[in-house]
Amino acid sequence: MNTSTELGEDEIALYDRQIRLWGLEAQTNIRSARVLLINIGSIGTEITKNIVLSGVGHFSILDNNHIVTEEDLGSQFFLSKEDVGKCRIDAVKERIIDLNPRVELGFETDSFDKLVSQKCEKYDIVIATELTRNQTIQLNKWTRLNNIPLYTAGSNGLFGYIFVDLIQFEAKDKKLQSIRVSKLGVVSPNKEIIHLEVTKDPEDEKKVYENIVTKNKYIPFDQLLSTACLEGKLTRRQLKRVSSILPLTITHLKDTNFIKSNETGFRNEVIKTCEQLRIDPALILKLEYVQQFIAQNNVEFAPVAAILGGAVAQDVINILGKRQQPLNNFIIFDGITLDMPIFEF
Amino acid sequence: MVREDNLIKIIGKDGYTKIRQTKCLLVGAGGIGSELLKDLILMEFGEIHIVDLDTIDLSNLNRQFLFRQRDIKQPKSTTAVKAVQNFNNSNLIPYQGNIMDTTQFPLHWFKQFNIIFNALDNLAARRYVNKMSQFLSLPLLESGTAGFDGYIQPIFPGKTECFDCTKKETPKTFPVCTIRSTPSQPIHCVVWAKNFLFNQLFADDDNQNEDNENKDWGTTDENEIKRIKQETNELQKLHNIILEQDFNRIPFILKKLFIDDISKLLLIENLWKTRTKPLLLDESIISENNHDVTEKKSLNEVWDIKYIIQRFIAVTKTLSQRMKSEGNFIEFDKDDEDTLEFVAMAANIRSYLFHIPMKSVFDIKQTAGNIIPAIATTNAIIAGLSALTSLRVLNLLDKYAPIEDVTKLNMAFTAMASNMTTNRYLSNPQLAPPNCTCPVCSQVVRGVVQLSDKLNEATTLEQLINKLKVKYGYGEDDDVSILDMKDQRLLYDFDFEDLCLRNLKDLKFVNGTIILFSDDSDNDEIKKPIELYFEIGDNVNELILPTLNIPMIKPKKPETDNEEKEEELVPMTENQEDEDGVVILDENDEEVIVEDSKKRPRAEDEDDLIEIIDLPKKAKN
Repeated sequence: MNTSTELGEDEIALYDRQIRLWGLEAQTNIRSARVLLINIGSIGTEITKNIVLSGVGHFSILDNNHIVTEEDLGSQFFLSKEDVGKCRIDAVKERIIDLNPRVELGFETDSFDKLVSQKCEKYDIVIATELTRNQTIQLNKWTRLNNIPLYTAGSNGLFGYIFVDLIQFEAKDKKLQSIRVSKLGVVSPNKEIIHLEVTKDPEDEKKVYENIVTKNKYIPFDQLLSTACLEGKLTRRQLKRVSSILPLTITHLKDTNFIKSNETGFRNEVIKTCEQLRIDPALILKLEYVQQFIAQNNVEFAPVAAILGGAVAQDVINILGKRQQPLNNFIIFDGITLDMPIFEF
Repeated sequence: MVREDNLIKIIGKDGYTKIRQTKCLLVGAGGIGSELLKDLILMEFGEIHIVDLDTIDLSNLNRQFLFRQRDIKQPKSTTAVKAVQNFNNSNLIPYQGNIMDTTQFPLHWFKQFNIIFNALDNLAARRYVNKMSQFLSLPLLESGTAGFDGYIQPIFPGKTECFDCTKKETPKTFPVCTIRSTPSQPIHCVVWAKNFLFNQLFADDDNQNEDNENKDWGTTDENEIKRIKQETNELQKLHNIILEQDFNRIPFILKKLFIDDISKLLLIENLWKTRTKPLLLDESIISENNHDVTEKKSLNEVWDIKYIIQRFIAVTKTLSQRMKSEGNFIEFDKDDEDTLEFVAMAANIRSYLFHIPMKSVFDIKQTAGNIIPAIATTNAIIAGLSALTSLRVLNLLDKYAPIEDVTKLNMAFTAMASNMTTNRYLSNPQLAPPNCTCPVCSQVVRGVVQLSDKLNEATTLEQLINKLKVKYGYGEDDDVSILDMKDQRLLYDFDFEDLCLRNLKDLKFVNGTIILFSDDSDNDEIKKPIELYFEIGDNVNELILPTLNIPMIKPKKPETDNEEKEEELVPMTENQEDEDGVVILDENDEEVIVEDSKKRPRAEDEDDLIEIIDLPKKAKN
C-alpha cells in the first residue's frame, strides 16, 4: 500500500474515470481506508470486486470455515470447478490479488467469535454477509463498541436486503438545487439537516448548489428486528403498497427456522411481523411471494448478488470518500418488479 | 448438489432447459458488458456472442474487472472471453468489430439470437441495434450508465417503447461567435483550442482550403465575415511555421493569436458594450521565456500563465517535429499527451485573457475528450438488473410472475444515486406502449428485401419503383419517393427523376442499405411509409419483396413537409456522388459546437459520443 498522502500520476491515470466523479480528495480518503469483509459468498464476491477495484487502501476478508461446493460455482465468479472441496478463502486469494495489486489484502486468521471478543482498531468499516441472526447481533454490538460503521446484506433467491448501522453519521453532500429546496431541520425519521449553504457555480450562474450536512441516526440490528414499525413514517397510500418482501425478509431475519416449518406456519409468523410493522397483511401479503420466498430459501443468485453487492460497495465508497448521502437504514430488493425501497427504522 | 441447483429453484427445470438453449447477443464488452458477461454466464445462458470494437485502455481497469494491466491494447471481446474461462459454462463467441458493420454482421446474422443485450457507449450504435431489433422483432435489453446514474429498459418491438420513442437529450450547442469572439466559459476556450486552432495548425493542407464563398459564417455582418476570412488566411501562415519547423517563429504564433487577433476584436466596439474587454498578452512574457522547459508540474493543478506560455512553446515545437513523420497531419486525441497539452495551454491562455477561470490539464482532458465518469458499482448494478430482467423478457419466471401483457414489465433507473428521491434506491416504472409519433418504430412499416449481387446490378431504380408500386398497391401514376436512410439521400421523387435509369449497385445499394418508400400523393389519407432493408446475398434468384400489411394514415401537414425537404432531402448530384455519395448538410454542422450533456444516463467512456463539430473531416472522406 502506498502510504504517501498524494496520489501518484499512475494512480490518477488508473482511477481516472472515478476521480472525475468524486474528486482527488475522495480518492485519497478511499486509499487510506481499511475495510473488513466477513464471508465471501455471492454478495461478498461482488463487494470484494467493487471495493478492491475502487482502490481502497486495505481490504481484509474473514472466511474461515467455508469449503467450496458445486453450488457455489453457480454464483461466485472467483471460483473454478477445480476449487470444489478446497477452503474457499484459499481458492479466491490469488484471484483477488490479481484484480488490483495496489490494494493491500489481509486475511483474518481469527475466528468470528475471537474477532468479536476483542477490542478492534484495525478497521474503518465492516461488511458482513451470510451471518446468523445471533452472529449479526453479536457483530453489531462489537461494531458499536468499537465505533465502526457496519453493513450487512443477504439474499433469498430473487429477493434481498441491506442493513446499515453507521451509529451516527454526519454526511456532507453537495448537490444541484432542485424544485424541492432543502431546509434546516428534521427531514425524515432518522435525518436532520444541521448545516446548509447555498453556492452558485462560478462558471454558470444558473447552477445553484446546496452544500448540506445531514445528521443520520441509526439503530442496531436487534432493535430493528424488535421495533421496526412504519406507523407515522409512511402515508396511508404508501402503507397499502409496501412490498411483501419487507415482512417476509424481517420475519426470516428474526428466525431462519420459521421458513423451515410449513407454509401456513411461516405465513403466520409473517402476519405477526406485518402487525408489528402496522401494515395490513390482507392488502400486502401476496401468496405467490410467500411461496416463492420459501422455495428460494438460501438460494444465491448472481444478478441479485451483483445488485446488492453493487449497492453496498457504492455506499461504502461514498462514506469513505465522504461524498453523497449514506443509506439509512434498511433496503429491500424485489428481483421481479425491480422495486428497491429504502426504509428508515 | 450441482452447479445449477440454485438456478433451477428460481426458473424451474423447464426454464433451465430453455435457458441452456438460449442464444444471446451481448453488444459491448466494456463497463456494463464485462459485468453482464459474468452474470449471463452464471445464469447458464447456452450461447453468448460478444461484440466489441475496442481495445483495452488503462483507464478501463477501475471497473472492467475482467481486464488487467497486462491486457492493455488487447481486444476487449476476446480478452473478456479468455478472462472468464475459470467460471464459464456457456458457449462463448467473441467478435472484434463494429456492430454496425453489415459485412461482418448482416441482418440474417442477428436472426439467430433470442435476445439482444445492449451494453454500448454511444448513441449511433444504440440506435442501430434498436433498429435491427425492430426489423427482426427481437427483444432488446437496453442499458446505460454515467457516473452514479444508470438505467435499463427492456424493449419488445411493436409492443413497448423502443429506444427512439423518447427524445434523447441532444448535445448543447454554442453559437460560433461565442467561440470565435466572445468566450465566457472555460469550455468555449477548449472548443476554440481543439476544434478551431488545433485543426488549423496541425490538420493537413487539403482541409485548409475550404470553400469560403458558400460558407455560413455564423453571422451576416459583412465586416465580421471579412474579419474571419482574413483570420483564416493568416492562420495559414501559422500552419506554415509548423510545417517548416521554424521554431524561432513559434513566439510569433502566440503573438498573432493572443495579441494581434484580440486587438482586432477589441476594435469591434459593440462586442464590449456589455462585456468586460479581454486583455492582450504581455509580449515580454513571450520573449523572456523563449526556451525549452523540462520542469513538470502536476496535471491536476492550474498552472501560472508564465509556465503555460513556456509549455505552449515547448509542446508546439514537439508537435511541429512530429508533423513530418506523421504525414503532415496530427489528429487531436485526448490520450496523446502532446495534443492534449497543446489544447490545454491554448485554451488556458485564451481563458486568462478573457477573464475566465483557467483549468488543469486533467479537467481540460474531460471537456476536450468528452470523458464520461464511470465506476464499477453502477455498472454492476445496471448489468445485474439487465440480466435479471432478461428472465422476465424470456418468460422464465412464469411460475410466479407470468406475463400476460409485456407493458406490465418494469424498467429501472438509479433513483437515489441520481438525487431523484431519497426513499427508493431504484425507480421502476412499467413499460409504455410505443410512442405513436416515434419515427423509428411507429411511423413506418418494416420489411426485408432479398436479392443477389447480380440482380443489384441488373435492376434499375425505375424497375425497383415499379415493383414496389405493384407489390404495395400503388397505381402506376401515384407519386412516391425513395430515400436512402443511411445519409438521408433522396433517390427519387416526383420532380427528381435523374437517377431512374441507374442500377441499384451504381446507386450504392449494398447489403444493409435501408430505404424509405413513401406515398407522396396529396390525398387526405396516404399509405404508411415502408422502411426496407436490402439483404443482398448469393442464393436468391429474384428480387423478393416482403409481404406487408400497410395501413392508411393521415399525411403530415404540408408546411412541415416542405421544411423537411428543404433542409434534409438534398438531391444527389453527379458531382457529390463522386465523393462517396455523401451529401453534406453544410449549413449548420460546421458551425454548431456541441457539448456533452451530463443529465441523461449514458454509457461510460464515450470517447466518440460527442463530436465537437469536426464536419470537415467527414466531408473529406
